[in-house]
Amino acid sequence: MEPLTGMGVLALMGAAATIAGASEDLESDVGSQSNPNSQVQLAPQMMYPHRIYNKAVSGEPPSNALMCAIGGTTATVLMNTGASAALALVIGAIVAAAIHGTYSVTSYFGRSASQKRFKQPIYLDIIRSHTPVIMGYAFITTFCILVVSYLMVTAMAHPFSLPLLAFIWGITVGAIGSSTGDVHYGAEREFQAVEFGSGLNAANSGNIVRKAESGLRNGIDNSWFCAKFGGPVTGLAFGMTVFLSGWVTAVFDASRGDAIGWVSVLAGVIIVLILILWNRNIEVAARAAYGTYKEDEAEAEVAA
Amino acid sequence: MSAGGSGAAAEAIPQNNIMAFGVLGGLIGVYGAYFLVGMVGQYMSFIGALGAICGMVWGAAAVRRVASYGLGTGVPSIGMLALGMGVIAATFGLAVGGVAGPVVALVVAAIIGLMIGVLANKILKMGIPIMEVSMTEIATAGTITILGLSVAMTGTFDFPVVLSQVISTGYIAVIFIAGGLAILHPFNACLGPDEKQDRTLMCAVEKGSIAMIVAGIVATTNPNASGALTILIGIALWYVAFSGFYDRTKRDAYDVVGAGMLPSKEELE
Repeated sequence: MEPLTGMGVLALMGAAATIAGASEDLESDVGSQSNPNSQVQLAPQMMYPHRIYNKAVSGEPPSNALMCAIGGTTATVLMNTGASAALALVIGAIVAAAIHGTYSVTSYFGRSASQKRFKQPIYLDIIRSHTPVIMGYAFITTFCILVVSYLMVTAMAHPFSLPLLAFIWGITVGAIGSSTGDVHYGAEREFQAVEFGSGLNAANSGNIVRKAESGLRNGIDNSWFCAKFGGPVTGLAFGMTVFLSGWVTAVFDASRGDAIGWVSVLAGVIIVLILILWNRNIEVAARAAYGTYKEDEAEAEVAA
Repeated sequence: MSAGGSGAAAEAIPQNNIMAFGVLGGLIGVYGAYFLVGMVGQYMSFIGALGAICGMVWGAAAVRRVASYGLGTGVPSIGMLALGMGVIAATFGLAVGGVAGPVVALVVAAIIGLMIGVLANKILKMGIPIMEVSMTEIATAGTITILGLSVAMTGTFDFPVVLSQVISTGYIAVIFIAGGLAILHPFNACLGPDEKQDRTLMCAVEKGSIAMIVAGIVATTNPNASGALTILIGIALWYVAFSGFYDRTKRDAYDVVGAGMLPSKEELE
């Protein structure tokens, strides 16, 4: 492929991946999936029943892999029957979003019903208001992942089939959403009431914020908050992963010779090294700015 | 009870009955579809998916049993492990077994599962009393799931056909993840101290019928399998199972309200 065309395709894939990453994180935040879920699950047990969606489908990687694999499978079947790619990818994403909706509903019902002794009610209005939002985000995520996979199959002649690529990218976007975006929701939203940066004291376990600016807090309030930072930063992380991992082979195309292939490996190593150094600098700068953990004054007095 | 604590799960239906249901139902489904497609016509391929649902229900019951010993975040991993072992056993069994392929696959799966169970308890020292049995069950259930859904997609378990139409086309990915989630999701979704076996298993039937619908979508492109009938039966089964799950949710929950405030302090005490 022409290097210029390759870069164009790659840019489009990077853009689609950025949207997919952002919507994936917000989708998991509406339902409190993945890591922050443990506190949502624990809260009723500590006498803090809540009106937050408990979407424990599974970890984010398997549930996103399911959505994307179903979308990829449906799209491939439709394209085999002669449908246009644009139509097939959209219908595939709709089927995936609908199935994801059923998974979300069964997890909210199941988890809440299994907390009978802690008196956690099931609120049907939460199901009615949140599930369409979850399905909407799931549609965007699946569609964008399908676009990335479709471009890889058609424009870049990747040897894997569309369902398999969608499956792999689904696991990847779930893993990146789980590791990047969850921190913003779990630490900064659920425990807004405690001092910033104070960590999670065992005594605060389950004591998540349950009241909103107006009324009782729910999952949509949480996605509003996470859309300010957690979602976009997940999108950037996933977009960079897709773009940079493709960039090295698009610029240094291994099919033009072994030497160029090795240059692409070298370029990849250099990118990883730059990122490690960059991360280290951010950490050092943050520690210099905010300092070490301060001992509580009352505790210090008792100790003295 | 199973609040991520440790201890055996309460069972209304004994695990041995579910095991028999899984193995017999699974084999009848796989062989029934294989022979009836040849004798009656391609529209009998949906029986394979019914066999797969038997396997998924059994797998979910086995996950429920072993995960009750405090495998909180390990529940999804164990479901993925089931299908991982299943893929190896199913492809090996079909490749060497011919008509006896599914039986060979189940035996291989049981051996792999037992080995993993022994490793987990003896080497990793997880100390879960039913680990060996459960791993054997989970591996075999995963294999039945893969075999059943493959037959529903292609109408046969002849290895060359499965290789070219399920594995090379990448549809194995959707079998892997839809089957895996049908096994791991029910207990993960119903996790908590007031979890009930029949509610969890009803959720497994519901997720199994979703896998059946997806297998039906793939079968539409295959001349030897009938997609339309598989999808229709899958949707009907999904509706029945979801209604059953919702009924049991209403039965088990503290309260199901249209909208409302949080329980008051007096109510909580």
